[in-house]
Amino acid sequence: MSSLIAQLITRKNAPVVKAQLPTFLVNFLHAVLLPTIGILVFLLFWSVAANNIDTSLGKFPDPAAVAAQVGNLYDEHMESRAKEQAFYERQEKRNAARMAKDPNYVAKIRAYTGKETFVDQIFTSLITVMSGFLLAAVIAIPLGIAIGLSKALNTACNPIIQIFKPVSPLAWLPLVTMVVSALYVSDEPMFAKSFVVSMITVTLCCLWPMVINTSVGVASLNSDWVNVSRVLRLPALKHVQKIVLPASVPAIFTGMRLSLGIAWMVLIAAEMLAQNPGLGKFVWDEFQNGSSQSLSRIMTAVIVIGLIGFALDRTMLQLQRVLSWDKTTQVR
Amino acid sequence: MKDPLLNISKIDMVFPTPKGDFTALKEVDLKINKGEFISLIGHSGCGKSTVLNVVAGLYQATKGGVLLNGREVNQPGPERAVVFQNHSLLPWLTAYENVELAVKQVFAKSKSAAEMKEWIEYNLKLVHMDHAMHKRPDEISGGMKQRVGIARALAMQPEVLLMDEPFGALDALTRAHMQDSLMEIQDELNNTVIMITHDVDEAVLLSDRIVMMTNGPAATIGEILDVKLERPRDRLALAEDPLYNQYRSAVLTFLYEKQRKVEEIGSAAKADVKSSEKKQAESA
Amino acid sequence: MIKTTIKKAMKSICATAVVFSSTITFTASAELGYPEKEELKFGFIKLTDMAPIAVAYENGYFEDEGLYVTIEAQANWKVLLDGVIDGRLDGAHMLAGQPIAATIGYGTKAEIITPFSMDLNGNAITVSNDVWQQMKPNIPKMSDGRPVHPIKADALKPVVDKYINEGKPFNMGMVFPVSTHNYELRYWLAAGGIHPGYYAPHKGDTSGKIDAQALLSVTPPPQMPATLEAGTIYGYCVGEPWNQQAVFKGIGVPVVTDYEIWKDNPEKVFGITKEFSEKYPNTTIRLTRALIRAAIWLDENNNENRKEAVKILSQSNYVGADYDVIANSMTGTFEYEKGDKRSVPDFNVFFRYNATYPYYSDAIWYLTQMRRWGQIAEPKSDTWYHDVAKKVYRPDIYMKAVESLIEEKIVPASEFSSLTGVDGYRAPQTHFIDNIVYDGKKPNDYINKFSIGLKADEKI
Repeated sequence: MSSLIAQLITRKNAPVVKAQLPTFLVNFLHAVLLPTIGILVFLLFWSVAANNIDTSLGKFPDPAAVAAQVGNLYDEHMESRAKEQAFYERQEKRNAARMAKDPNYVAKIRAYTGKETFVDQIFTSLITVMSGFLLAAVIAIPLGIAIGLSKALNTACNPIIQIFKPVSPLAWLPLVTMVVSALYVSDEPMFAKSFVVSMITVTLCCLWPMVINTSVGVASLNSDWVNVSRVLRLPALKHVQKIVLPASVPAIFTGMRLSLGIAWMVLIAAEMLAQNPGLGKFVWDEFQNGSSQSLSRIMTAVIVIGLIGFALDRTMLQLQRVLSWDKTTQVR
Repeated sequence: MKDPLLNISKIDMVFPTPKGDFTALKEVDLKINKGEFISLIGHSGCGKSTVLNVVAGLYQATKGGVLLNGREVNQPGPERAVVFQNHSLLPWLTAYENVELAVKQVFAKSKSAAEMKEWIEYNLKLVHMDHAMHKRPDEISGGMKQRVGIARALAMQPEVLLMDEPFGALDALTRAHMQDSLMEIQDELNNTVIMITHDVDEAVLLSDRIVMMTNGPAATIGEILDVKLERPRDRLALAEDPLYNQYRSAVLTFLYEKQRKVEEIGSAAKADVKSSEKKQAESA
Repeated sequence: MIKTTIKKAMKSICATAVVFSSTITFTASAELGYPEKEELKFGFIKLTDMAPIAVAYENGYFEDEGLYVTIEAQANWKVLLDGVIDGRLDGAHMLAGQPIAATIGYGTKAEIITPFSMDLNGNAITVSNDVWQQMKPNIPKMSDGRPVHPIKADALKPVVDKYINEGKPFNMGMVFPVSTHNYELRYWLAAGGIHPGYYAPHKGDTSGKIDAQALLSVTPPPQMPATLEAGTIYGYCVGEPWNQQAVFKGIGVPVVTDYEIWKDNPEKVFGITKEFSEKYPNTTIRLTRALIRAAIWLDENNNENRKEAVKILSQSNYVGADYDVIANSMTGTFEYEKGDKRSVPDFNVFFRYNATYPYYSDAIWYLTQMRRWGQIAEPKSDTWYHDVAKKVYRPDIYMKAVESLIEEKIVPASEFSSLTGVDGYRAPQTHFIDNIVYDGKKPNDYINKFSIGLKADEKI
């Protein structure tokens, strides 16, 4: 078997094996076996490396330690859910007691105040990244279309875009924090300030790739389609709606996919830096804790962050395949 | 004599380039009557497409102008529908929707929704595309795409149908089919057509007049050939027809003797052109 | 009913009944109302002395007051203070110097008050293994070979001199310019003849390194061990568990606890904005009550509950360090050199010795140190010191909380018997490492007693 695998891996011999094996089996080997081998080799390398790295917090976590942490984190989550249940029960009792004493009192249910578990943090990060991403799309796509359609606007905006594009959104973070604190004042805010700050940071980093890709997509519109539109004398708005927008969908999606990937990376960093709820904060908190569990918990988070990033990218790709007319998009 | 439907009146076309102005067309003058089928033929780069684009209104002539029914043409419009060389269907719309886009735009006020539907289907049927009208361009062959492109143009009910090498990208067999289809449609609708072509046989087969253009720069009309072949025309019968062959050689003589391309050297020229013609057919 | 409470209280008080009635007056106030604001967010830094907040939450004391509190770790002291100032946080575990500095406008200017002092002691100074080896020969030994405590900075002085001669800066870490740790480290260094440097904010110099022999810089507490390990600093002063962490990791040796520098020194306070206390008076009293109960629980029956407290603190959302590391200091012991574990029962004091009462004299001590090191650039009158202390430290709110706890029979009056006769100033304190006596009533006199440091009327 192992020689078979070896043959499979070496390109030279592959055709020979293909000739002997049914196609579906070859496909199966390629789709499942090779990645599995890759992962196994990585795990092996990781285990060996981990056992040889000593930090002041003990050995570097190996795959087994991470697997154990996954269990721990899940248990903690369930424990927290149970606590939450109890919290609401106590609250109901307290409210009932107060209403008995003071009939005018309108009881209000307060949200659970306990700690955010790892699972909660995953959802917080996901919601933040999606909100920031969608906000960016709402701003960037119309802007990108306008810039793509108008040479003058393109020339006017280009320097600004080129200057801000390479700026890490993390550099914006302090400014965003201060501006949000100053402007987002409300007694009963709909969103937490930390959420708004993280979201805007994500938006800032999604904005530029989306604007650029959209405008390039629009600007490089097939001239035949423009001529079709001209011959039909489509009004400007209809021209955008019927021709420009659908034609730019592949470019827009490319920009969106690109920016979502960056956004996910930046969000984690921003959460670490600003201590805003989310996976980044989880990592930072664990680093600060410096307990014997910390490294393995961080490693778990690293893997989860990677898996989520991968899943986000695949989701965008699938979405692109469904929504875009250009079916030639490569899986990369 | 009655006024021509379309009057291309002494147009010059000058393009500004970084190296100075480039005169593409010089004094192109042509009058076309209603129901006439005109072919524009000439070597590539001679400005055939430029003439078509000026008529379509996509370009504005530098000098002179185009009159349609006595009115000056200064912007594109559906009454001068264009069939583009690369079908230029919108890939995100089905065949039906591509035609629908045109129909909705042209007949927004004059047709009801049901009438529009009927009209779209009628036109798709005309080009034998009724069986695949809910397919997207990437799901149908090149010939089918071009049929849809023609259906879209016809559906606009244009006064002049402008065709820019409509079959240039198709293989020889498909091209023959398309030519036959076009003749059928032409028998039925009797449209006024200007068609650009490279293909001498196609020009003779389809046209009432063949307009031969000189080489650029400053290209203009060299000769005009009246094709007085009876309609309906049958390509097999015509192959033996001396008149047909006479027309054919007249065009060839114009192209390969009078307007031989400068780059082409000596006796190799003819063979070159032939082989490139053949290549084009094969590659499509 | 109130009168009987008073009587009960009076019974437990013997000689000072007269003073008592004039200072602690259990007025027949109306019953404490419901909190005006029920949903609160408190910030903290990952240090064991945040325990009262964690305990008040975990033991349900906040909920008993009708308060729904979210507790959130902060990245550093600056972020935490800004959070309270801009309202992102309703209150926080603060360095005692922070409300004072904010009120006098050193750093961000804001009116922050404290109705509750969180703990006494709890800090230590740790040096790297390398520095420790160089210090060791200068320290007298006991019969069993272990070094005699307290270790004075005199032992460090030759090491610092050596670094200076070699042209190498002797860098040390502390957690914040107005932190207890900064002043304690400076106090210890200066007592051993090492100049820690002056601040000159009026000249724009807030680095605190003018004339310095040891260069002090800010590092957030949880990052101290890593920074020491990286060799960026040779020592630091920080709260727990970050000294014990160094021992566990084997990267440094704690040389002195702040208990030895100044016995029962005030450490953290609970800070809220003045605006908050005025807008939500009931909430303020109620959160103070919950914190007082937590402090009592932490010290009850000779630290009996400490093990449970350590368990709470070792949760990842609180301090999050390993149980053993936190337990080392919280349960009454302290490990110096690896294996040299000594009993320090009062290393962390949360309630005993009136630890929770916000003494004016504590505030004034911080002000004297700010003046000593130039953070307060201009000479100030004694009255000024007293006025600032009274603005920031609010025993009035604290006493309202105490009274209502007694009144509602939540806590027996006997718990507060030692508050008898308290007028906001501690009696002159003597247990300093340099044997200088501190009398909070005479700040300028005190400042003049130091050989290293600005004199009361001196300016840079």
